[in-house]
Amino acid sequence: MKIAKDFKLAASIAFTHMRAKLKQTIIATVGVAFGITVFIFMVSVMEGTNEFTEDVVFEQSPHLRLYNEIALAEHSILDRAAPSAWNVVHHQKPKDILPNLKDGIRAVEELGKDHRVLAISASVSTQLFYRLGSASVNGRVLGINFENEDALFALGSKIVEGGHEKLATQPNSLLMGVGLARKLNVATGDKLSVTTEKGDNFQVTIIGLFKTGLTDIDNQQSYASLKTVQRFLGVPASYITDIKVKLHDKELAPEIVEELENRYQYSGSDWKKDNSALLEGNVLRNMITYGVASTILLVAGFGIFNILTMMIYEKMKDIAILKATGFSDTDVRWVFLIQAIVIGFIGAVMGLIFGFLLAYATSRMPFESDVMITMDHLPVSFKPIYYISGFTFGILTTILAGYMPSRHAAKVDPITILRG
Amino acid sequence: MNILEAKDIHKYFREPTEFHVLKGLTFHIEKGKFISITGKSGSGKSTLLYLLSTMDTDFEGSIKINGEEMRGKSNRWLADFRNHHIGFVFQFHFLLPEFSALRNVMLPGLKRAQQPPDEVEHKAYELLKLLDVEDQAKKRAVLLSGGQQQRVAIARALINDPLIVMGDEPTGNLDSRNSAIVFDLFSQLAAERGQTMLMVTHDDEFAEKSDHIIHLADGRIDKQ
Ligand SMILES: Nc1ncnc2c1ncn2[C@@H]1O[C@H](COP(=O)(O)OP(=O)(O)OP(=O)(O)O)[C@@H](O)[C@H]1O
Ligand SMILES: [Mg+2]
Repeated sequence: MKIAKDFKLAASIAFTHMRAKLKQTIIATVGVAFGITVFIFMVSVMEGTNEFTEDVVFEQSPHLRLYNEIALAEHSILDRAAPSAWNVVHHQKPKDILPNLKDGIRAVEELGKDHRVLAISASVSTQLFYRLGSASVNGRVLGINFENEDALFALGSKIVEGGHEKLATQPNSLLMGVGLARKLNVATGDKLSVTTEKGDNFQVTIIGLFKTGLTDIDNQQSYASLKTVQRFLGVPASYITDIKVKLHDKELAPEIVEELENRYQYSGSDWKKDNSALLEGNVLRNMITYGVASTILLVAGFGIFNILTMMIYEKMKDIAILKATGFSDTDVRWVFLIQAIVIGFIGAVMGLIFGFLLAYATSRMPFESDVMITMDHLPVSFKPIYYISGFTFGILTTILAGYMPSRHAAKVDPITILRG
Repeated sequence: MNILEAKDIHKYFREPTEFHVLKGLTFHIEKGKFISITGKSGSGKSTLLYLLSTMDTDFEGSIKINGEEMRGKSNRWLADFRNHHIGFVFQFHFLLPEFSALRNVMLPGLKRAQQPPDEVEHKAYELLKLLDVEDQAKKRAVLLSGGQQQRVAIARALINDPLIVMGDEPTGNLDSRNSAIVFDLFSQLAAERGQTMLMVTHDDEFAEKSDHIIHLADGRIDKQ
């Protein structure tokens, strides 16, 4: 009870001090508010962008994929001839092997029965040239079974023009990326020719256009049926180059990849490995965001520290009088700590409000980007955790900034002041 | 009954050079008496008063107030003791500049928290009235004249009905009329309520009227 009364009294003294030094108090509060505003705004926009890119990229990224990598032979023929000697082969050339998966069809069937697998799609991919008149654009074509690929990447929802229905039935039909179509200046229904790496020419028809939002894909890729691409390459129906898998639990991908690599002797990769640059970029961006925001808060905290320290020097006499008339060291410490807490609290709340408003205004802002094709306004994230951490960090900084001057005030020896 | 007993008090200042200010003071003060401390400037009157007020704890010897030894007590204990039992009027009246005169008087009473705030306020107002500054009650302390400030400080010293009121030239800034008011108030409190008055003064007339004089010279008590 006595403690509560002491606290109330200390608070009333603190408020009188703040009222008397209104200008400095407001400046300190605005400093904190500014720090938190920037923190909230930066985190919201940065994380929003991260989440957006992640969504776009991961949607186009299988949980795991299997392929055949063209590798150098680990053991040369020399090793067999002279097993005990040191054999060095300079400028070894890759073996001339086909990039297809051996027994790929059987692997697809087996994996289809695996209970961890949600969906699976086999495909044949190859580089080729798209030609229209004198224009020639280097690109890729992916032979797929549309239903399977759709189960993995929601391909159907990416089609912006035409349709996929004829892909399986009409020979040499293509679904083309919008970027690639723009480069070639073609639209649905147009015909053009493609040239394979071996130099074979084929006449193809565009039956639709798609847009994934990923420039890499939209600007150079087309989809065709498995059969069509196999015909381009002159290979049998058992020829597939990639198996892409969607799992029930994508966190299991790395271990399953390892298991499949061993079982089938294929090369494999998972979504984490494939997008490591993106994931690392996110970590880096987050570090920068939090770094900048903390620096601003630290500066605001330093402002509070300064103002309170100055205030305490000005108020030395007051402190001495309070102590002489029976206020304890603790009471005096509270007088100044309360000022810091009030400044921190009001500043933090204001910062949260302004930060939210700024982030909200940004999320309403129309924004078009060439890189992020599917974006029409800036992506902003509004997770409560940003607000909780911003508030906590703001309060902590101000309390820390107020603590040292307050302790100093509590230690003031009244007699040296009153002696004059 | 002795309200205060001082035994062989020595006080040194170590900065800038060692300086022996009080050289073994022994005396006692009876409850309800009006005591004056005199001596020429620099003789150590204020220094002694700060020791007796428990604010300065750096000394040798023993000080007992109301039978309680002051040496070796914690800061918190001493602050509480001052709040309850000692009223102090400083040589250079010291009020809290941003607070009103009334609030200045009330603060030690609010800290003591024995009476509800409105009673403390009422009492503070009565004290200001006794000292003839009630018309300044709502003004901020900085705006008051020196003499007014001193009277407000006296009112503050009295708010918790202390056992001992200590003053360092409490009438130094007052005209003879107000000086007389303060003196009469002090004597009255001593006589009627048994509060002990311990006043440093340069004013010979003031000193002559008191019950006892402690005269300091060369760090010792001259006559008592
Ligand atoms: N903090 C200090 N450090 C060193 N010497 C001090 C200190 N405070 C006081 N003194 C010295 O101690 C002596 C006594 O000082 P004190 O203030 O007690 O005198 P006083 O009797 O109250 O004088 P006055 O009547 O002028 O107020 C003086 O010589 C003074 O210079
Ligand atoms: Mg003095």
